[in-house]
Amino acid sequence: MKRTSGAVAMFGIAALLLSACGGGDDEPTDTTSADAGDAGDAGDDGAEESADAGDGAEETEAAGGEEEEEAPVRDQSAELVIWADDVRAPILTEFADQFGEEFGVTVQVQVATDVREQFKNATNVDQGPDVIVGAHDWLGELVQNGTVSPIQMSEDVQAAFVPEALEATKFDGQIYGVPYATESLGLIRNTALAPDEPESMEALVAHGKELVESGEAEEVMLSPVGQTGDAYNAFPWLSAYGGGIFGLNDEGGWDADNVIVGSDETIQGGEKMAWLAEEGALNVNVGHDNLEALFSEGKSAYVIGGPWTIAAAEGAGIDYAISPIPDFEDGGETVPFLGVQMFYVSSKAKNPTLAQEFVNKYVPNADLQVALYEAGDRPPALQEALDTVSAEDEDIAAWATAGEGAPPMPNIPAMNSVWGPLGQATSDIVGGDDPAERLTAAQDEIVSAIG
Amino acid sequence: MSQPSAPTDRLPDLTDPEHLEFRSRTPLWLIVLKWLLLAVLAGVLVYVSMQLAEAGHVVWVVLVAFVGLCVLAVYGTRRAVPLKYLLPGLLLMLTLQIWPLAYTVALSFTNYGDGHMVTKEEAIGAIEANSVRPVEGSARYQLNIAVPEGQDPADGDLVYLLTDPDGVFLAGDLEGVTELDPETVETGLTGRITSAEGFTVLSASEVNARTADLNEFAVPTETGGIKAIGLSEAFIGEPTKVYDPETDTVTDTLTGTVYVAEGASFVPQDGQGARLPQGWQENVGFDNYTRALTDPVLRDGFIKVFVWNVAFALITVGSTFLLGMALALLMNDERLKGKGIYRSLLILPYALPVYVTALVWASMFNQDFGLINDLTGLHINWLGDGNWARFSLLLTNLWLGFPYMFIVCTGALQAIPNDVREAAQIDGAGPLRTVRSVIMPLLLVAVGPLLIASFAFNFNNFGLIYLMTEGGPFEGGQSQVGSTDLLITWAFRLALGGTQPNFGLASAIAVFIFIIVALISYEGFRRTKALEDVN
Repeated sequence: MKRTSGAVAMFGIAALLLSACGGGDDEPTDTTSADAGDAGDAGDDGAEESADAGDGAEETEAAGGEEEEEAPVRDQSAELVIWADDVRAPILTEFADQFGEEFGVTVQVQVATDVREQFKNATNVDQGPDVIVGAHDWLGELVQNGTVSPIQMSEDVQAAFVPEALEATKFDGQIYGVPYATESLGLIRNTALAPDEPESMEALVAHGKELVESGEAEEVMLSPVGQTGDAYNAFPWLSAYGGGIFGLNDEGGWDADNVIVGSDETIQGGEKMAWLAEEGALNVNVGHDNLEALFSEGKSAYVIGGPWTIAAAEGAGIDYAISPIPDFEDGGETVPFLGVQMFYVSSKAKNPTLAQEFVNKYVPNADLQVALYEAGDRPPALQEALDTVSAEDEDIAAWATAGEGAPPMPNIPAMNSVWGPLGQATSDIVGGDDPAERLTAAQDEIVSAIG
Repeated sequence: MSQPSAPTDRLPDLTDPEHLEFRSRTPLWLIVLKWLLLAVLAGVLVYVSMQLAEAGHVVWVVLVAFVGLCVLAVYGTRRAVPLKYLLPGLLLMLTLQIWPLAYTVALSFTNYGDGHMVTKEEAIGAIEANSVRPVEGSARYQLNIAVPEGQDPADGDLVYLLTDPDGVFLAGDLEGVTELDPETVETGLTGRITSAEGFTVLSASEVNARTADLNEFAVPTETGGIKAIGLSEAFIGEPTKVYDPETDTVTDTLTGTVYVAEGASFVPQDGQGARLPQGWQENVGFDNYTRALTDPVLRDGFIKVFVWNVAFALITVGSTFLLGMALALLMNDERLKGKGIYRSLLILPYALPVYVTALVWASMFNQDFGLINDLTGLHINWLGDGNWARFSLLLTNLWLGFPYMFIVCTGALQAIPNDVREAAQIDGAGPLRTVRSVIMPLLLVAVGPLLIASFAFNFNNFGLIYLMTEGGPFEGGQSQVGSTDLLITWAFRLALGGTQPNFGLASAIAVFIFIIVALISYEGFRRTKALEDVN
């Protein structure tokens, strides 16, 4: 995770900007001070926004930060406080009320626009919530800062979850959250242009090229690359032949001391990226900013995206179908990262007992998981809920299939050093650089950054 | 109140009794209002300091008290008349400028950042708490929390009422577990004890109120301790990482690894394996400054970034000023009709938020799908090539910045008296000569400081760079020094984009940038002073 914005530091830096602009000014006029004010805001919000855009890709959450973000203040009157985003909060309120009634306590679900950052800041000053709802790849950072408590989940409950989803909640062998949804990349097909599911990447490329040649489409395939690259979206190609980012340690967790970005297997995947770029299926000029627009305008039959991409297609009235990313004909398996959404208990919770009770007893509940699916359109993490939903919603069944066998995105803090260099390397490869050279260079950069 | 006693209030002719009469006529309601406001403020400050005292910030309480006394001394008396006007500004300057500056400098001497946010004590607490694991093969219990009958739920001895998987009822306290007679116990559907003779079961709210006691509470067993999970379940757990205060080490009981404190975190004694993730905050002296000056990536990139940074700020200020001034001169011409419409149109780019504009321009510069290449038929890789990317940024910033300069120049131009122009005309100067020798010097006196402020702003124009290019394109197979990085975006990436977002290092770099901008601004203002002599 590209960990970028930190409110305290940004406050300090913005303040320095302000003083740099206004500091030497003997007679500040209205215009300069207004301008200086803009400067501070621009720096601050710019960072916030781009951090969000970056996170959007990696956290696989499409929401951007276009609105001024106001941090919630812990509701002091409530005995149990839960922070969630604006989509999940209304659903949770229903269950929180039930919980409150059952135990005779007051429960408050508050909307946080940037849960991760706001939780961190609020917890630092002991004003944080008891429970937060967020992505599993925050875990390393949260553990590192001592802000979350382990969950002592019983084995029966553990067995009720999709194994990969449960795996994602672990750090250093301990479970730190109760998962409720999973998400991964898949192939979304415009069925008007491509009625059949392609059998392989080669077949996809061939059909895409036909469409471009006949003028029905403009792009063979859409996948966000951009000038600075995107390691999350490049992972299916890079790992196709056994490569990837980190190797595993003895406990089965990601090993930060074993970076495999420069390995032969990853380079083989990189060469496939180069081939896709050559065929026009990957393009540095397609990024997060224009991908959805291009797809909704019918400029391409295929897009490699996640559940967050669907809204745009639906909005444009495009008929689509979801399937796993096709494998390569020579045996390369294109497996995306799995993202898992879950409930964390704050280690500084004012009411850890209630918080533990809620996440342990209420979250592994099929009703709650189904309700959260209805809000987020992602496959539930509880097997029972997943089965119920998959039977009714073929999209969800398709997403669940697309995410089968996908490794959870690494949640160790060392991932922070990966996104930048690896993203840039993939962009350069798509731009025509030699994969072996670029991935080896990225490996060196990542290793030296981890230190 | 009728007799002004302070000598400073006395003007030379105030000995005149008429003036005394006049001065004493401050309406009563104003005085009442003043003291009312002061009382409200005092109340607010007392409330704030009580909150601060509760949170344990002693220094802050002193500061708040000091501010309160200052306010009282300035507004409660008739002394210190100039301060009555200056105090609000001074206080705002202290809170909004000086304090963040001091805070940033203080931060730059610490290792504050991810993984180093808490005190050592808290870090050790987190390490131990996070290492609690169920004892292998141990049972899980149904749980209810109670106190012995007759004791107050708010402070009585805690007792766990437990039902083990075989349905045996137990009561657990600090001494250990004792079996309960099934006859004396009532249970719910799941076998959880709902009431038991000799015990008062606590409600959820009562349990909640005793969070602190419960955190300390565990029922000792042979293998570990019975701890509650929430309200209705308990397990036998034991910490697998144990801190020993005497040797200042943490021992992992599962693997036998011993961790020693080093560099604000626990590292394995034998150097094998990873350090524990939870570190703590500590003073690192000048480490951040040394690193900023000696780190090879930081040092090598610095010159390249600095040159582009200065060029970017200079060219932006120059180009926006020239375009803005030219348009202002044009719009200032009396022969032009419909000036109002043109002026409003010209100000439009300034009215749009930079986030929107920057993102729109970024998409217009897209090589394949961008408007610019579409219209011109060129196939320029605007944002993927270093020089073109720099050019694109300058062009975008010209669009964003010229309306501001246009407004400023229009105002300043209208302040220049017409007779100066007429005098120049009579002296035989043509229009160009008039602008160069007469209007420009007069204009620069007025807008000079604004140009410097604009320079300082653009020197740190983080938002534009981040939204347009994120500092990229990155050339030469690395991802650290981008072609369009300014010092601020570059420092941001280096300090906060690495493995350990490091606010300490970021602060040190921010201090450097502050010094550079301050020096440039100081020199600039010194020169503007010289310009003022033209008048």
